[in-house]
Amino acid sequence: MMRLTLAPAALVALAPASAFAANYLSPEQAAKLMFPDADRFDMQTLLPAGSSRPLGVRIAKKGDAVLGYLVLDDVIGKVELISYAVGVATDGSVKQVEILAYRESHGGEIRLPAWRKQFIGKTAAAPLRIGEDIANISGATLSCTHVTDGVRRIVAALSAARRAGTLG
Amino acid sequence: MQRRARPLLGTLVEIGAPLGHEAAFDAVAELQARLSRFEPGSDIARFNALPAGGALRVGALATEVLTAARRLQIDSEGLFDISLGSGPDAWRLDGDRLRKLAAGVVLDLGGIAKGQAVDVAVRALQDAGAAAGWVNAGGDLRVFGELELPIRLRDEAGGGVREFARLADGAFATSHYGLGTSSATTRAVQAHISVVAPLCLWADALTKVVALSGDCGHPLLARYDAAAWRHDVPRFA
Repeated sequence: MMRLTLAPAALVALAPASAFAANYLSPEQAAKLMFPDADRFDMQTLLPAGSSRPLGVRIAKKGDAVLGYLVLDDVIGKVELISYAVGVATDGSVKQVEILAYRESHGGEIRLPAWRKQFIGKTAAAPLRIGEDIANISGATLSCTHVTDGVRRIVAALSAARRAGTLG
Repeated sequence: MQRRARPLLGTLVEIGAPLGHEAAFDAVAELQARLSRFEPGSDIARFNALPAGGALRVGALATEVLTAARRLQIDSEGLFDISLGSGPDAWRLDGDRLRKLAAGVVLDLGGIAKGQAVDVAVRALQDAGAAAGWVNAGGDLRVFGELELPIRLRDEAGGGVREFARLADGAFATSHYGLGTSSATTRAVQAHISVVAPLCLWADALTKVVALSGDCGHPLLARYDAAAWRHDVPRFA
């Protein structure tokens, strides 16, 4: 039986907007999910042409065989920070994209380096408090454009490195 | 309760359930491949490319959503229109045959398929044996089983979230009260319409009926066991 209990109107109108966040997978969990057969991941850093941002690639291996590549990245939107993982097959096709963590705050705040810094490198270990859920967020425009752009960039960088013979 | 999220349907799709995530994500991805007008091989893209008088056989997902869309079009006296004015009566579904009755008619399921995707994902979770859980496709969400989900609204203008309600065994969808759809846009607010309904397909589609009619008490809502709210958000920045 459907049941909806409204919060008091005053709370909706007057309560200050709060930030929220959700953690889904650690990088290790994502790696295991995408490459369950891998027995190790070799790290390699690529510097994509025309970019000042190095790209950390985890090369999934079983013995000497390369199973694919895993890249972790963050993208920043107007009010959100999204950490995600892209699994790329050896033929260069996208195998899987998983969101690792999602954070949102008031507009502006997220552009401040300090605000952003508190999350960097914390995705693996820091469990979030109950109640900080994206699960229950309803809004009109939650776009994943930044993620899809990021995935495209990563795939292109991996392809370029493969062509150049610099990818392990 | 395990939570996972993937970029799908142009947004983030989050699934919270004890099991069945993979099957549910696959179901959403399949729906996107079958129904998005941006996917060249989808039933909708192929219909849009047909000449007048042409017909094609469509899949079960398409017949389900097209049947619902037609019903809503009739019930809303044309307000809900997946042809977006290009030919509301120029498409016809006979069984699994989708016919194009006039040149120029194109369909866009953007106002209803995200809700359907949530329902399809919930079905996949239940088929996998999940007794309770939720699916949230960028704000179009549904919760099932012994679970009460707090619902918060995103502040699209300034960021952050506000408490709104708690929902059990139902669906909740929010749409932007877009430019050009009402006189409200002349004021310095941006408004959102939220609808609660038993199924997400109806919640999603009914936000459009409410937005286009400007009536949160639209008589159609009661017929679908639904209710609507309008949130006016002051535009800062």
